[in-house]
Amino acid sequence: MKRMRGSNLILGAALCLAMAPSALAQGNDLSIGRKMLMEDNPGELWIDQGKDLFHQKRGPKNVSLEQCDFGMGSGKLEGAAARLPRYFADTDRVEDLESRLLTCMTRLQGFDRNQLIKDAISAPASRGSDIEALALYVTSRSNGMKVNVSLSHKKEFDMYKAGEYLFYRRSGQTDFGCVQCHGEADKRIRLQDLVHMTSKAGAQEVAASWPAYRGAHYVVRTMQWRLNDCVWQMRLPDLKYATDYSIALTTYLNRQGNDAVMQVPGFKR
Amino acid sequence: MKTTWIKWSASAVTGLMVAGCASYPDQATTRQMAEKMVFEAFDASLAHMKRLEQDRSQQICSKIGDAKLSREEAAEVVKLARASIQYPASGQLTGDWKAGDRLAHDGSGDRIRSGKTEANKQNGALCQNCHALAPGEINVGNVGPPLTGYGKQRGNSEAIVKYTYEKIYNAWAYFPCSNMPRLGATRHLTPEQVTHMVAYLLDPQSPINK
Ligand code: HEC
Ligand code: HEC
Repeated sequence: MKRMRGSNLILGAALCLAMAPSALAQGNDLSIGRKMLMEDNPGELWIDQGKDLFHQKRGPKNVSLEQCDFGMGSGKLEGAAARLPRYFADTDRVEDLESRLLTCMTRLQGFDRNQLIKDAISAPASRGSDIEALALYVTSRSNGMKVNVSLSHKKEFDMYKAGEYLFYRRSGQTDFGCVQCHGEADKRIRLQDLVHMTSKAGAQEVAASWPAYRGAHYVVRTMQWRLNDCVWQMRLPDLKYATDYSIALTTYLNRQGNDAVMQVPGFKR
Repeated sequence: MKTTWIKWSASAVTGLMVAGCASYPDQATTRQMAEKMVFEAFDASLAHMKRLEQDRSQQICSKIGDAKLSREEAAEVVKLARASIQYPASGQLTGDWKAGDRLAHDGSGDRIRSGKTEANKQNGALCQNCHALAPGEINVGNVGPPLTGYGKQRGNSEAIVKYTYEKIYNAWAYFPCSNMPRLGATRHLTPEQVTHMVAYLLDPQSPINK
């Protein structure tokens, strides 16, 4: 009985989510300007790089990532990224794409976690890191599919609620939470357009377009990089790679972006 | 058993929604989990970790979603803001508009990368990130209202000087929990720097009033 009660509560909460006013607004298409940019997106090059890395036998254990389970079963990539973050029984954690890659690259291939993290975010104008290329390749296998983050597991729902809390949490000498810059339509910091993430359309834009080619850096960037950069602007300390803080925010944003059609690599300034 | 459960659960769900969806996880649990995440997510010295701690006003001003400030909370934030305001030792609230002009356009200072704080002697004032300043400037944000012509419109009476100083020192003294940072109160700017900002906004010679 206790068990049923738990799932019932979650069902109730999920229904509440479905009814939240922000979820009622309709999504819109990417602007024409963005579409034009994407037709000639240099980030496409990273897809092949990631595909090679995925299938090559690598690491101390000399195996490929073909046995990695991104949530749809070993090696099944179609639609997997569109459902991330999600709960994984083998780690008993909610993982986003980047933490799942870390899990597989350490457990299956035997790579050193600290070294992977050290190399994860590449230098501008470099050939990019393995994780950047792999993250893009895996996500590209959901292109054309709808973002579909489920909160049916208790830990997923907890993660979502924590992410929501963190989105609004203000701290530091600039009193910034995420919502100070991403809570209203048509806002800019200097000339940089700020995505309005408390709208359905804005959250969908985020959920559908990462990893993205970053024009100013000439490399493909992941969500973890983006969060690092925003946190830096907020004058907070260095964000560690793939901690629950990032996973919670990503769960929150991607869930808000449900039903967006995945199209990566996105193309960013 | 199964059908009764479904019945029971359906009514429970309705009950939950009527109760404002506050049932699971309750706010205190979420807060506890999320706060733990904050303090595990950063790699930093103790001094830098301090930046993650919220003061009372920040706690009040972190309302989730459409939740509104209560009247008591707003009053508390204003009271704390008023108490935070320090004036320069000289007592003179208007400084050098040229220094203010430079600071207003400077968005750097005190950011942390690889454990190191930016090496600036003093922090930029960040105004241009959020406000339109002198006429014709293009690279300006719109998170805050335009300040173009601020002094021309308001003059520089003692009351305006005092309001402007206090507004920049702690914006929440006049608008609790607004999106404008409490630049003086959080020590991002010194009282002396705030006087330069006042001069920049109010001096008839300042480009912002041209
Ligand atoms: C001081 C302003 C500021 C704050 C606070 C801020 N951001 Fe950002 N954010 C930006 C800017 C600027 C950009 C990039 C715009 C560009 O490059 O054109 C951005 C971009 C993003 C993007 C990418 C949007 C896209 O193009 O898909 C995400 C996701 C994001 N921010 C999330 C967050 C989260 C989560 C937080 C809080 C932890 C946060 N931001 C806090 C200013 C901010
Ligand atoms: C992160 C965004 C941000 C930054 C940085 C910022 N402001 Fe603001 N400012 C706002 C917002 C939002 C408002 C409107 C809400 C309010 O009054 O608090 C505002 C309001 C004001 C007002 C009140 C305007 C009026 O009509 O009375 C003044 C004056 C002002 N800002 C000056 C400054 C100056 C000077 C700086 C730099 C030292 C600065 N601001 C930095 C966002 C910002």
